[in-house]
Amino acid sequence: MSAARPAGARAGRDDIADVLIIGAGPSGSVAAKHLAEAGFSVVCLEQGYMPDADAYPGRRPEWELVTQKQWHPNPNYRDRERDYPINTAESDVNPLMFCGVGGSATLYAGHWTPFMPSDFRVKTLDGVADDWPFTYEDLLPHLEVIEREVGVSGLAGNPAYPPKLAYPTPALPIGRVGAKAAECLDKMGWHWWPGTNAIPSQPYNGLNACVRRGTCMSGCPEGAKSTTDLTHWPHAIRAGARLVTGARVRQIEVDDRGLATGAVYVDSAGRERRQRAHVVILCANGIGTPRLLLLSGGADGLANSSGMVGKRLMMHPFSAVQATFADDLHSWRGPFGQNIASYEFYETDTARGFVRGAKWGAMPGGGPLGATSFVGSKVFTDPEARVEDMWGANLHDLVLRRFRHTMVWGIIGEDLPEESNQVLLDPDLTDSDGIPAPRLIYKVSENSERMLKFHEDRCVEACLAGGAIETTVVHQMPDTGWHLLGTCVMGKDPKTSVVDEWGRCHDVPNLYILDGSTFPTSAGLNPTATIMTVALRQTRRLIAERRNQEAA
Amino acid sequence: MATLTPQQRAAFGAIADYLIPAYKGLPAATAVGVHEGMVDAVLSYRPDIEEPFLRGLAAVDTGDLSPSLNALFRADADAFNALGLAASGGYYMTAEVRAILGYPGQESLTYDAHATPDYLTDHMLERVVRRGPLYRPTPG
Repeated sequence: MSAARPAGARAGRDDIADVLIIGAGPSGSVAAKHLAEAGFSVVCLEQGYMPDADAYPGRRPEWELVTQKQWHPNPNYRDRERDYPINTAESDVNPLMFCGVGGSATLYAGHWTPFMPSDFRVKTLDGVADDWPFTYEDLLPHLEVIEREVGVSGLAGNPAYPPKLAYPTPALPIGRVGAKAAECLDKMGWHWWPGTNAIPSQPYNGLNACVRRGTCMSGCPEGAKSTTDLTHWPHAIRAGARLVTGARVRQIEVDDRGLATGAVYVDSAGRERRQRAHVVILCANGIGTPRLLLLSGGADGLANSSGMVGKRLMMHPFSAVQATFADDLHSWRGPFGQNIASYEFYETDTARGFVRGAKWGAMPGGGPLGATSFVGSKVFTDPEARVEDMWGANLHDLVLRRFRHTMVWGIIGEDLPEESNQVLLDPDLTDSDGIPAPRLIYKVSENSERMLKFHEDRCVEACLAGGAIETTVVHQMPDTGWHLLGTCVMGKDPKTSVVDEWGRCHDVPNLYILDGSTFPTSAGLNPTATIMTVALRQTRRLIAERRNQEAA
Repeated sequence: MATLTPQQRAAFGAIADYLIPAYKGLPAATAVGVHEGMVDAVLSYRPDIEEPFLRGLAAVDTGDLSPSLNALFRADADAFNALGLAASGGYYMTAEVRAILGYPGQESLTYDAHATPDYLTDHMLERVVRRGPLYRPTPG
């Protein structure tokens, strides 16, 4: 691999880049920034485009209407030109994602919940799944750097975690929703903590301060939710990285020695192009990354001597508990974002009938149209139901009761890896460039079912203790596959894993995977913090070992 | 986008008022123009519902709304839901209804990020801290 180059030396289209990164989401952005600042020539191919904050609908009156379609997180439903379709006919959970600079975080809620110490020792502590090849303590120094780059807001001292550095910006106001949610847990004597969010409470690293608009999940029109188009790409581009948008990669190429030489992509005009590189890094998420490997390198795919590419898909079974109170909670106000979180039942207690646990995050209920479309309102599950049950006077009563008065608890349960849950290539379905689309096979496990039921029951207990006048449980919601993990597992044994502990493919020593595909387990937490942290750890290793890197 | 005829607007108005009548100080759907400018706005924001909306509109007998709407819901839920979304989506976007509900829309708020929150002064969070660590220590 070439020696370090001066920062600002941008690789041209026909140059052989030091590093080609595929995907400009959270992990790819971390890699691009740090590699470019270390003097590598970096090219990043991103199939979406740079977001336009003025296009985000949060400031407009039709916000609630368009979040149900054009800004829906399910690409199959949203169906934009840059989205690729996914066959989900055999999946209990629909995967959610967004193609663009910043990746799926464009539509995330910004819950910042690094994995816990036990998450890296699942086999040792609970006898299931696998330990990670490194520990929480190994990751902590990298996490503390990432939290500064992201501009996390939060309050230090959460006893759910070991001691660590304080957050770079103060905690966001928890609002009336958060105060009521805290009161519920306080009545039970259970853990809660003001929410930590990738949403700064004061201007920070190119981000504006959050103004509590509450439209985080359809893109932040205030430029206040931390996404890497704002926090990382300005630095990466200043350091010389070249970002190519509208570039849909269809294959990673290898030479006679089995080393990656670059990628073939279709540009936004439909032209096929080739980008060559000494090192290739995949950051296309837990579905996009195995899809690309399966599209490359022959019948079994690239880097797949273990047969594990695409296997062990984890998507986090998710339940929601809606609780309505007589108090006016101003529950359209943000952040949307977690106002508070609880880790009370996060760690394993086998007396509960399952292993591992879940995190709860309390969020506001949203606007009046949202109040009409939550479960138990316009959604008819009873075949004997009549239109009048949910419309007419009953619609008005529902909105008057719920709007302003409702919180929603999101319960994220740890999803244990199973080889039968997997990403495959669909034999018929393609994207708009004719590239085969992924097909999922995913079933929610018995452990997850029991876990979610337990947590739902405890959450309802807490809400009732806090004075809820109505609670509604949505068990294992289908449109909740935000967290796409595990499909190119890391490990020490090339026979059972795709990458080593540094994210390098066992079979292709100059091909790296730095996204959540490599996670051996999923934790019961939103994974973006850990995805970015692991990406930084691996990137720093790549920089440190540059002179020993085998390259095409 | 289709231009609705006066007859279609009248039919949609009847449906919208059945789904969203005047009640407890809240106006009926047509009283805030749900069948006029608002339905045009909703269909422009959500062109994906236009086809099932028109299908539903053609299927409903406005002279006998309850059995007709219930039959539509059972036979063609997409069409029923498009009618419902056109009515409720427009209704909750109107300034009149938002004012009555006390909904200013998604608003921008200022606050002092360094203000001391109540949970620190009322000792509620202190009780959490006093209960001690929750995490399981792990071997390094």
